[in-house]
Amino acid sequence: MSVSEEAERLSRRNFLRMAGIGGTALCLGLYTSGQAGVKVINQALVNAASEGVELAAWIIINTSGKVTLICHRAEMGQGVYHSIAQIIAEELEVDLYGVDIQLTQGDEKKYGSQLTGGSSTIRGSYKNLLKLSATAREVLIMAAAARWGVAADACYAESGHVIHKASGKKFHYGELVADAVKLAPPKEVKLKPRSAYQIIGKGNHRRDTPMKTNGEAIFGIDKRLPGLQFAAVKRNPRLRGKVKSFDASAALQVPGVTKVFKVVMGVWDTDREGVAVVANSTWAAIEGKKALRVEWDDTGFEHISTAEIYSRHRELLQSSEGLPLKTQGDPTGIISQSDHKLDVIYETPYQSHSCMEPVNCIAHFQGDKVEIWGPVQAPNWIQDYVSKKMGLARENVIVNMTFLGGGFGRKAMPDYPYEAVLVSKEIGAPVQVVWTREDDATQGPFRPGVSYRCEGAVEDGGITALKFRMAGQNNDHWRGGDNGKPNRSTSEGFLKPYYDTIKNISFADLPFKTPIPTSFWRSVYASTNGFAYESFMDELAHKAVRDPLDLRRQYLKDERSQLLIDKMEEVSGWKSRKKNDGYGVAITECFASTVGHIVKVSKGKTGGIHIDKVWVVVDCGWYVNPDIITAQVEGSVVMAIGAATIHEITFKDGMVEQRNFYDYKMPRIMDIPPIEVHIMENDEDAGGMGEPGLPAFAPALTNAIFDLTGKRIRKLPFDMGNAGMEK
Amino acid sequence: MINLNVNHKVYQVDADPNMPLLWVIRDLIGLTGTKYGCGVAQCGACVVHLNGEAVRSCVTKVSRAEGQQVTTIEGLSAQNNHPLQVAWNEENVPQCGYCHSGQIMSAAVLLREKADPTDQDIDDAMAGNLCRCGTYLRIRKAIHLAAELQKKEGGSV
Amino acid sequence: MKSFVVMGIILCMIGLMAFAMHREQRSAAGLTTPIVVKKDSIASVKAFTAVYKVLMSPRCMNCHPSGDIPLQGDDSHLHTMFPKRGKDGKGILAMKCANCHQPENSPGLHTPPGNPNWHLPPADMKMVFEGKTPRQLAKQLIDPEQNGHKDLKKLIAHADDGLVLAGWNMGEGRTLPPVSHAAFKKAWITWLTTGAYAPKK
Repeated sequence: MSVSEEAERLSRRNFLRMAGIGGTALCLGLYTSGQAGVKVINQALVNAASEGVELAAWIIINTSGKVTLICHRAEMGQGVYHSIAQIIAEELEVDLYGVDIQLTQGDEKKYGSQLTGGSSTIRGSYKNLLKLSATAREVLIMAAAARWGVAADACYAESGHVIHKASGKKFHYGELVADAVKLAPPKEVKLKPRSAYQIIGKGNHRRDTPMKTNGEAIFGIDKRLPGLQFAAVKRNPRLRGKVKSFDASAALQVPGVTKVFKVVMGVWDTDREGVAVVANSTWAAIEGKKALRVEWDDTGFEHISTAEIYSRHRELLQSSEGLPLKTQGDPTGIISQSDHKLDVIYETPYQSHSCMEPVNCIAHFQGDKVEIWGPVQAPNWIQDYVSKKMGLARENVIVNMTFLGGGFGRKAMPDYPYEAVLVSKEIGAPVQVVWTREDDATQGPFRPGVSYRCEGAVEDGGITALKFRMAGQNNDHWRGGDNGKPNRSTSEGFLKPYYDTIKNISFADLPFKTPIPTSFWRSVYASTNGFAYESFMDELAHKAVRDPLDLRRQYLKDERSQLLIDKMEEVSGWKSRKKNDGYGVAITECFASTVGHIVKVSKGKTGGIHIDKVWVVVDCGWYVNPDIITAQVEGSVVMAIGAATIHEITFKDGMVEQRNFYDYKMPRIMDIPPIEVHIMENDEDAGGMGEPGLPAFAPALTNAIFDLTGKRIRKLPFDMGNAGMEK
Repeated sequence: MINLNVNHKVYQVDADPNMPLLWVIRDLIGLTGTKYGCGVAQCGACVVHLNGEAVRSCVTKVSRAEGQQVTTIEGLSAQNNHPLQVAWNEENVPQCGYCHSGQIMSAAVLLREKADPTDQDIDDAMAGNLCRCGTYLRIRKAIHLAAELQKKEGGSV
Repeated sequence: MKSFVVMGIILCMIGLMAFAMHREQRSAAGLTTPIVVKKDSIASVKAFTAVYKVLMSPRCMNCHPSGDIPLQGDDSHLHTMFPKRGKDGKGILAMKCANCHQPENSPGLHTPPGNPNWHLPPADMKMVFEGKTPRQLAKQLIDPEQNGHKDLKKLIAHADDGLVLAGWNMGEGRTLPPVSHAAFKKAWITWLTTGAYAPKK
């Protein structure tokens, strides 16, 4: 092959990759803009994980016909390991259960952004993956047609083979792939109509289940390398600050401990110092850490308490109009003149992600490059951060993604991989830094606790004005965000159709800072906004003497909302509920999906409140796997039960008060009500589903408790054992 | 040196007798299916069978297991075909999957002692196993299915 | 779950004392000494006040719950994850006491305390302390039908039972019973040997 032929071949291969990238980049839809840039193809970064010919960025086929599909995003429970393959298999025409699926490395030039957040994987990739897979199938068909000397449309693909219709002759893909990569792909490919799908749309068995039932799945904490050392780090319990001094003598007495030294963890633009204990087993490192004595220097940082945080929120909410994010009409004027108005404050707590797999990461620093293995949601961010901090070329920061034992936003941070890199650099060997559960609970970052002042006016059974103010930490501040701008997420969760029907609405943010690190937590600000805004809708409905679902129907006039409400009424028996039943409703929008919850509660046999049933109706547009969606909603409800009724992170003297599952308690199997999930069928664009099932649960629950008891809950978490008891 | 019988294989490990069985299994023997979740017997991710009982390996010193029969998730069945493993697959139980080694090992003791468990039996047996992804409803469903499968097989677990 | 198991057992023994009063007993030191019961209702009730405080302390009461789920912590809340008593008091199914509670205390705060014999009273002899008044508890303690069929001799010996002693060794961070084991034992024996009188209330 000549040089020019080689160049030509590469550019064709790149075409398929680029096809992928363009689509992904367009649909990124995350919190950050500008992270998604894909500029050039770098051939050196071609994934070499699987033997065979790379037909396209996600598709590798070897000569015997074995097909390997790449999962380019983090698999943290939300099912993309399966659903990405499900999409590709559909248009590529391969057996979903006959292909290999591999996790990959950080390589956004190839895959577009791999930041697994914002429930973005399917909605951001599906069009691109469908097109890419169909294109790959077409070039395989073209290769076969050329071999047989027939027209491409005389052939079709099925189950990893190209078949000549007339003769029944067939090639498996492995026999064609070497030819196929030399062909110029067609510019346009015909995609299947949804009605023709054999694989997409089915709630089939997840490909990652078998390896999760016999110990085979390798999570970050399970990864092993030759010569791997283990480390635990004692970090400043005040969340910020430095090490004044430390005494390593007792730690070094622990058998297996080899080295103790100071290390820095970068939390975006801030540094937190700690002392690392390196050992030959995780246990020895943890024991060494227990024996270590450290004196901290946290001068210059406020030692804040939870009570101070919320009283400051209240002060702000009572005294300031804040930075306006959105305003239409004149809500302030309308409300001030109204005789039928409400003005209330809602409070939501700080929360920990508490993934079952505690934070951990392996790094192997090798001079001009570093290789990382771990449970990470944002490999590209790690490349950005570590290359900048270490002065390395970005492509020399190699990030290998493992399975994640939960992510929920925590594992999108580059803090812990960077810390592992520093430890590896110091010892000159690969090292796995493992956070203990106590580290995980006390160090954050946390979901910020947010308070809201909600004002509104009603007249003649309708809403005339809404005015929302929010006081709470802004996650963006940790990434150098502008203090002078309102939090962009102030209205997250609020249903957009309301803007069309309620004339006077405003949202404003009251910037609030503490030394506490905060970050994304499943459904992000919608998880707290939703509680305030949808509880307030219920309060207004009560004030206006209206059925709360009817009120929403009146103001959510678009067809999708109307159909969603129809479905909610139908499945829950809303209209035939009895006078003494406790029913609550809430609807929120999150990451391009709208989800409505109806919760039914009753008085518990031994007092308190019992959740009898939860109905959830989801409108996420085009979807891949209804069973995974159902599972995500079930899991979101469980997580929301925990955050609304069981646990919270509190601070005293600048330190977290919770340590482990004994004081940051989790819902258990007996705490879970029946959850019935319904998915709307339509031809709309795909929305996210990893997170949108969460925000509407808490307000639906507290609205139901109000319906049953007349007691309005405006502060989370609350105790179900006493809820509705006092008036 | 401590002699350990794990999944019917004998290992000699050079471990402090106080080292929790969890870390011996994971870091010394190299079986990583058993997970670290809390270190204080709160979450159940580390459950293994010690002479058939669902012990929490994070608080069980390796010395307690010396000369005893230890079974980890890797040794529960030869071909990932214990009725619970089959049922877990059938019901798409795991999400992230991290807690499920422990969930299944706990459920295996339940099924051995109660071939036809009620919902209350499942609560009683499984309340010690946390799942942050919230797969509890499916765990319940899959245990009922596994009981059915076990009956059909006619054998005990 | 904490130390309550120990106490339950001790109490059970009291019932039999009435019989044993004038018999000879083997002391802990191995010497044969007579158990002399000298009735003294005032001294007896006074001694029981100290006994009651100990038995109702979390270290003892937590394993003598009124339900079938042990209690936990200095505030005696229901044991997280709701382990059940089971027939033999050793838990059920995948939730047997010894799955978490080791032969010895686990090191560190908030880790399971341990004992080789860790258990609740069995289902057919629950020996409930929780919610009992001094009078109810005293009467229960000396009733062989409610104390595990213990006679005076066994009741006295029970003060040195392994699980009873464990009440004073429950691991880091747990409040000890209100008096020392020696003081408890003294009060216990005094109560028993002065007639095991029950307080009025």
